[in-house]
Amino acid sequence: MSPLPTDAVLPAACDVAIVGAGPAGMAAATLAAEFGLDAVLLDEHAAPGGEVYRESAAASAERRAALGPDYELGVAAIAALERSGAHHVPGARVCGVANVAEGFELCIAIDQDAGILKARCVILAVGALERALQIDGWTLPGVTSAGAAQRQLRASGDVPAGPTVLAGCGPLLYQVAQQLCAAGANVVAILDTLSVARFVRALPSAIEFMRSPYYARGAKLLKDVNETVPIYHDVLVLSALGNEKLVSVRFTANKRTVTLIADHLVLHQGIVPEIHLADSLGCDMVWNDTAACWKPRVDTWGGSSVAGVFIAGDGAGIAGANGAAHRGALAAIAAAAALGRIDTPKRDAAAVVHRQALAQSLRGRRFLDTLYRPPERFRIPRGDTIVCRCENVTAREVIAAVHEGCTGPNQLKIFVRCGMGPCQGRDCSLAVTEIIARERGVHPSAVGRFRARFPAQALTLGQLAMLPSSPADRLAVTRLPEDE
Amino acid sequence: MKARSYDIVVVGGGLVGAAIAYGLAEPSRRVAMLDEGDRASRAARGNFGLIWVQGKGIDYPPYAAWTRASAQRWSELATRLREETGIDVALQQRGGVHLCLSERELTVRSALVARATVANGIEILDRNALMHLLPGIGSDVAGASYCAADGHVNPLKLLHALHAAFVARGGSIVSDCAVRNVATGRGGFTLTTATGPIDAARVVLAAGLGNATLAPQLGLSAPVRAQRGQIIALERAPPMLPLPVETLRQTDSGTILAGDSQEENASTETSMGVLSAIAARAVRAFPRLAEARVVRCWAALRVLTPDRYPIYQQSRTAPGAFVATCHSGVTLAAAHAIELAPQIAAGSLGAALLPFSADRFDVAVAN
Repeated sequence: MSPLPTDAVLPAACDVAIVGAGPAGMAAATLAAEFGLDAVLLDEHAAPGGEVYRESAAASAERRAALGPDYELGVAAIAALERSGAHHVPGARVCGVANVAEGFELCIAIDQDAGILKARCVILAVGALERALQIDGWTLPGVTSAGAAQRQLRASGDVPAGPTVLAGCGPLLYQVAQQLCAAGANVVAILDTLSVARFVRALPSAIEFMRSPYYARGAKLLKDVNETVPIYHDVLVLSALGNEKLVSVRFTANKRTVTLIADHLVLHQGIVPEIHLADSLGCDMVWNDTAACWKPRVDTWGGSSVAGVFIAGDGAGIAGANGAAHRGALAAIAAAAALGRIDTPKRDAAAVVHRQALAQSLRGRRFLDTLYRPPERFRIPRGDTIVCRCENVTAREVIAAVHEGCTGPNQLKIFVRCGMGPCQGRDCSLAVTEIIARERGVHPSAVGRFRARFPAQALTLGQLAMLPSSPADRLAVTRLPEDE
Repeated sequence: MKARSYDIVVVGGGLVGAAIAYGLAEPSRRVAMLDEGDRASRAARGNFGLIWVQGKGIDYPPYAAWTRASAQRWSELATRLREETGIDVALQQRGGVHLCLSERELTVRSALVARATVANGIEILDRNALMHLLPGIGSDVAGASYCAADGHVNPLKLLHALHAAFVARGGSIVSDCAVRNVATGRGGFTLTTATGPIDAARVVLAAGLGNATLAPQLGLSAPVRAQRGQIIALERAPPMLPLPVETLRQTDSGTILAGDSQEENASTETSMGVLSAIAARAVRAFPRLAEARVVRCWAALRVLTPDRYPIYQQSRTAPGAFVATCHSGVTLAAAHAIELAPQIAAGSLGAALLPFSADRFDVAVAN
């Protein structure tokens, strides 16, 4: 173990630090470097690409065919990044970002090492995370999320053995179903929790959607899956059964209750912005009623409420890979202007092409957001369903604490430890906010959310000890002046 | 809006306010505890959970005695809370240790111990004696001070239990109820709060840092300031710390906590430099902790008086108004619930609490 930075791995300082090497982060780093900024792109994975272009860096010829246009887009973005001169740091976990007098300090962990990168501006392009689908038994071994199932399939090619059920809602659920089927998994059913009422609600924006690029791909996906797997719609009740591990899945649809024997249950109900770093920096968040989640408040450049912090990609609100790239570019343009590399007219001129493309790629989003908002019964658990898996806290306990006088998530932590585990509330934060809002009869924005604590990514005590500290920092801890 | 009315209103729902409110609550008395909202500064949230006697009040015997008395009554408080709420606050009182990570630190600590009276019960352990108590200490550890009266509890469970027991005894918790000001009124006091006016025959100000502005409105004084402390929580581990060390303890659930810092800073943000200094010291104390994963870090504000000792006082100009403030909300919880609250209920503070009047800060002026 040794403290960073070491020149070979991590520079000591840069103009702009970009967190996350998905479409938004790659576009931002590429453009920032092209503007002559010293840009450092940090990502925990070995290769750039993010979740969507994960395989573009090194896919076999067969996989390239299967990936289709996504592969080409990813290859082009990665090639542009490499040409740009931006410094890509693979395997870098950004554990925290601090707002200091001269800009920002990012705490970076790489393998067993850790250190500080100073930056004048920060572009957060950390993407989205899956919203947990908390049903009875969701913490049983054998139950996983669609994202995790997809990562496992990509990483090891391991196909789940035995009957597999997928449940929830959202495009990724169907995409993973298709990928599992193609890989030879025994997918016995898809249990779709969307109600017909959502289609009616989404109808006003359907025409816009049908003109969007989403439509053709989505329609083909649904048709493909529908031909190979039985789909149950309007699923109202859903539980994973078993003691030591998953044995069966029970659900109610069309007034019929069905039990399916299953070794694997793959759950998914959409993705939401990952806001931890932005929140810990104090960036304003707003509750979005359409998507039922928090989003950072950003201007048309991705600028957050904290000067020098830009947020791009799905972390600023879900908009897909193409939209993410253009929002990354806009953030880089704004950062270049903020750092004095370009003047305002040049900034505005550079933005035009990206704004047009962004508008294009946002078409159809409203339909998807409205359609795929998970139903309340699956967003806001009740009864003995576990809400916080780290600390094993049930919905019933959360509700009881609210009626004891707990008005918000942070008091809830004190009373029932909900959200205090290693995941820092990523699985339960939204559910907790909505449970408290429902019980108190107020809007989620009046309830708030867990405070985002350092560290955002895994870090050991030994790594934390490697970070630099000043004599004043040490005196505050030892209370004994050095070098007397 | 019609004012709500109580016999006694305790301003503050932290460890100090909740312990006093719990001690005041009984079926024949209408007691309210006013608490703030979800993001209140809450010193209680940052409390490390120590019941700590060693080193306290070496230069102020009344504080040493008050601390020791509270430590002695702690098991009584824990038993009562368990009986009344079913909540086990995880009290362990088998002694505590202050580690010295160099010969120089040991010399400084030994000098402090030499000034303590016999009643303080603090002793110096050399490295060999310490290895038996705490296997796994690092090579930098030169020795320690030890006190058998020390211990620890789960401060979050304590706060929860005090709230629950207060309600079980008939008390009312009013949440989201920040107090803007307080004045004498008909038959007592009127408090202007975020949720409307509240009348009270008696008022206890236990609002932490908020006391600084509230106390003068009732002829009292609470010159308190914020001092930041930061804490690191590590992942759960099998039992490895049989005794709490002043800056490291293992909770009843296995989590290891590493603290702390004393910073003249009123923000509740963490800072990576101070966290690094805390981590480095913890790793020197127990090298195997280097591999432990950090789960979360946080900062909270201590409520300090100029001499760090508590303030307990009744107003001379507005009798029936009391102020209570201290930075040892866990250690003194037993004293607050069992000793202080009945005196407030009786309407006068006993002679043993006279040394804690804020008048002590005016001595220079009086002379």
